[in-house]
Amino acid sequence: MTTTGTGQDAAGPAVLVQDLSITFPTMDGDVHAVDGLSFEVAPGGALGIVGESGSGKSATSLALMGLHRGTRARITGEIAVAGTDIVSASNARIRQMRGNDIAMVFQDPMSSLHPQYTIGNQLIEAYRTHRPKATRAEAKARAVEALDRVGIPEPSRRVNSYPHEFSGGMRQRVIIAMALMCDPKVLLADEPTTALDVTVQAQILDLLDDLRRDLGMALILVSHDLAVVAGSVDEVLVMQKGKAVEHGEVRRVLSAPEHPYTKALLGAVPRVEVSRAQRRAEVRADRAAREGSEAAEAAVAKGERQEAGAAEAAAAPALERTGATALPEADAAWDPDRDPLLSVDNVRMRFRVRGGMMGKSTDFYAVDGVSFDLHKGETLGVVGESGSGKSTLSRMVMRLLEPTEGKVVFEGRDITHISERSLRPLRRDVQMIFQNPYSSLNPRLTIGDSIGTALRVQGETDGKLIKRRVQELLERVGLEPLHYNRFPHAFSGGQRQRIAIARALILRPKLVICDEPVSALDVSTQDQVLRLLSELQDDFDLTYIFVAHDLAVVRQVSDRVAVMKKGRVVELSDSDSVYEDPQDEYTRSLLNAAPVLDPDEAREHRAERVRLRAEGEEAA
Amino acid sequence: MVTYLLRRLGAGVLLLAIVTLVTFLIFYVVPRMAGQTVQQLATMYVGKAPTEEAIQATIDRLNLDQPIALQFWEFIKGIFVGATYNFGGREVVCSAPCFGYSFQNYTEVFPEIVARLPVTFSMAIGAGVIWLVGGVSVGVISAIKKGSVFDRVSMGLALAGVSLPVFFTGLLSLAFLVHSWELFDTPRYTPFFEDPVAWATALFLPWITLAFLHAAQYARQTRAGMLETMGEDYIRTARAKGLPEWKVILKHGLRPTLTPIVTIFGLDLGLVLGGAVLTETVFSLNGIGRYAVQAIISQDLPVILGVTLFGAFFVVVANLIVDLLYAWVDPRVRVAG
Repeated sequence: MTTTGTGQDAAGPAVLVQDLSITFPTMDGDVHAVDGLSFEVAPGGALGIVGESGSGKSATSLALMGLHRGTRARITGEIAVAGTDIVSASNARIRQMRGNDIAMVFQDPMSSLHPQYTIGNQLIEAYRTHRPKATRAEAKARAVEALDRVGIPEPSRRVNSYPHEFSGGMRQRVIIAMALMCDPKVLLADEPTTALDVTVQAQILDLLDDLRRDLGMALILVSHDLAVVAGSVDEVLVMQKGKAVEHGEVRRVLSAPEHPYTKALLGAVPRVEVSRAQRRAEVRADRAAREGSEAAEAAVAKGERQEAGAAEAAAAPALERTGATALPEADAAWDPDRDPLLSVDNVRMRFRVRGGMMGKSTDFYAVDGVSFDLHKGETLGVVGESGSGKSTLSRMVMRLLEPTEGKVVFEGRDITHISERSLRPLRRDVQMIFQNPYSSLNPRLTIGDSIGTALRVQGETDGKLIKRRVQELLERVGLEPLHYNRFPHAFSGGQRQRIAIARALILRPKLVICDEPVSALDVSTQDQVLRLLSELQDDFDLTYIFVAHDLAVVRQVSDRVAVMKKGRVVELSDSDSVYEDPQDEYTRSLLNAAPVLDPDEAREHRAERVRLRAEGEEAA
Repeated sequence: MVTYLLRRLGAGVLLLAIVTLVTFLIFYVVPRMAGQTVQQLATMYVGKAPTEEAIQATIDRLNLDQPIALQFWEFIKGIFVGATYNFGGREVVCSAPCFGYSFQNYTEVFPEIVARLPVTFSMAIGAGVIWLVGGVSVGVISAIKKGSVFDRVSMGLALAGVSLPVFFTGLLSLAFLVHSWELFDTPRYTPFFEDPVAWATALFLPWITLAFLHAAQYARQTRAGMLETMGEDYIRTARAKGLPEWKVILKHGLRPTLTPIVTIFGLDLGLVLGGAVLTETVFSLNGIGRYAVQAIISQDLPVILGVTLFGAFFVVVANLIVDLLYAWVDPRVRVAG
């Protein structure tokens, strides 16, 4: 470790934060993002800062880098990094420290590297800013070394590549290499794995842990997920609304949390060891208890609502089957109780990849021979990493894509190649909930319009009926009927996903495809949305295809699970056997990469991964 | 990368061919479709008092009574190998590249254009540099000091610049700067190689006038682009490295902003090279734009046609250069092709 800079106390803490407050003045008064926060990290120590969005954890990490300068944020208290007070230091001093004493790894590796410069250029720049005497060649050698250290293959060649030539996980490695260029004393990682796949997440966390031990850096790991920090830190700080509600040794906090918020947060973390049956029983019990207590006070209001509901239910059947005749004739022998609702038979989806000279193209199969049956009321979980073909598969089931080969049979009708026109009635039976609740709602439509449009498209003309049905559904998914006329920007991520759910359910579909419905949400919001989906499944007798990369989430909602890799299903079985007795090597590696809450178990998993990787390298 | 270059180059050539065809159609076919007879069309190309014989001679000379395909073939042939026109026994050679022959002045169009190129070039390049550098710097400073007095004043000026036509700003500057206050001499073009200083002083006012119009647009676009870029994650990364702020702005912030600017710059420059009609007229500069205006006034169709083709040629070439620059500015283009 090189020692640079001036006036530091070698024995003192690497980071010392005392009574830190960050206030943002807004039109509606001051927002206290961080309020009286104190903590310290010893040299070589590791602290996890955990909290949901809006808890002030990102404001804190930006403050550690002095990155609030030039904004309107007001910072009081003390932040000492390697002995220098960040709050009062001059701008020049702060710049000297950034990258040199404290380096940062950001959340989104796709957008955190400059797209127009080679990674070498960006690494060299980081070095030469702080080592003005170093020659370009020295800096380049250093860059190659850093890339090698973070596990980029062929670093001396790749140093000349542009960011778009790397995958997300590799880019995050590059960003970590950039942070390592000047041997910082503190490495600050703000949600470094949130945008990454499970196995890549595990690799990045392993790398950070390894670097910290090897180079003796202090590590501050910021995340919304307790399970992510569990295996990598010594201490945990739980933040809520700008305040530290719990702070202590990681084993203690995870096994015996004191603050109710920590307990709630821990309860919300999806656990890979909880089975579908356990989870379902739990959700139903909670619901019964909740509804029991609500029943008394809401009896009157509810009676009214039920009346309205009954009237609507009477009107519904007429609406329900309009246009159904346009569908191809159903197989007369199809029996909803016995035969599968959906049957997918050896579907393949080919994309042509253009490249090379003069339009030469190669074929790429995003989905390559997938078959499964899905019965009414069942949930099929589809797990896989990005690029595994799970989204393409769900789009084929929706018939947003026409399969190149194979067959999709819905309710006994072959819908593989039917025309867009005859698909229209099918659209009401199969609905989709998308991943990103921020971009999947039209910002210029009120949510009432967003949800009601589907009814209008399907031929409903009675505006009052539409409004009533939308409002009932809004209430059912946990929003207020009054929200009908509001625009999406007024809602949080979790609320928006509820809106998206309402939009999917307004047509009373039979099959709902949930494409990563909770991956953009905080842990506790995630839990609420999953509970809602589970309740709705009971109420409306829904069949789900649940696509996700999070293994724990998939286990809790799925009766059966299909594990996908490179367009193929490598394992398909009932969820308990997939999770407890995985047959495929790939499933095992996925399970091994899943973050767990128990720090000791997490470390065991890590040791196992390191061993497997070493074996793999030896074999190669 | 090679594929990209070849593809762009091929597209450029194709575009030129289409432009040539369309120009030909406008001048030779559309009038006929609108009901003009061959004689009437020929009258427009005679160039002097249209006697019966002169019209017939023109029809023969330009093959106006032949099938359109053949006419187009002759037209293309003229561009590549030249053409010979027959004036009652006297042969006139329009050597390649023959962009037409003025029957009013008995001159070939191409050499006339070439003779005026230095003026137009000098004006376009000079003004282009001024509006690019000026517009971009003002835009960058405005973006960084958003909401400041500088920002408000320069954006106000920019709005004025976009709104005010050249014949207003140009005439105003002539009236006040040259005639009333006598700060400048009346612009009189001097070739660069004769006297660079006189060249620059003569062109100074036209440059500023033309640049003012364009710089405004560049300043506004740069400002908007910079504001967007400076909010990107990679700017935060650059700051987190400890880079000095000027480097964050100029190296990391400006380059992505310049990408779209390069595109419009190529187009604008191509247009001005094809003839800055208003500026050249206002300042009496004898460039391609003025040549076009004179031809339009005297209804000298071959000249109008030649200048049109030539202008289109510049726009296409400028576009091609922009495409190549693009690949240099943004590495992702090289792969996507």
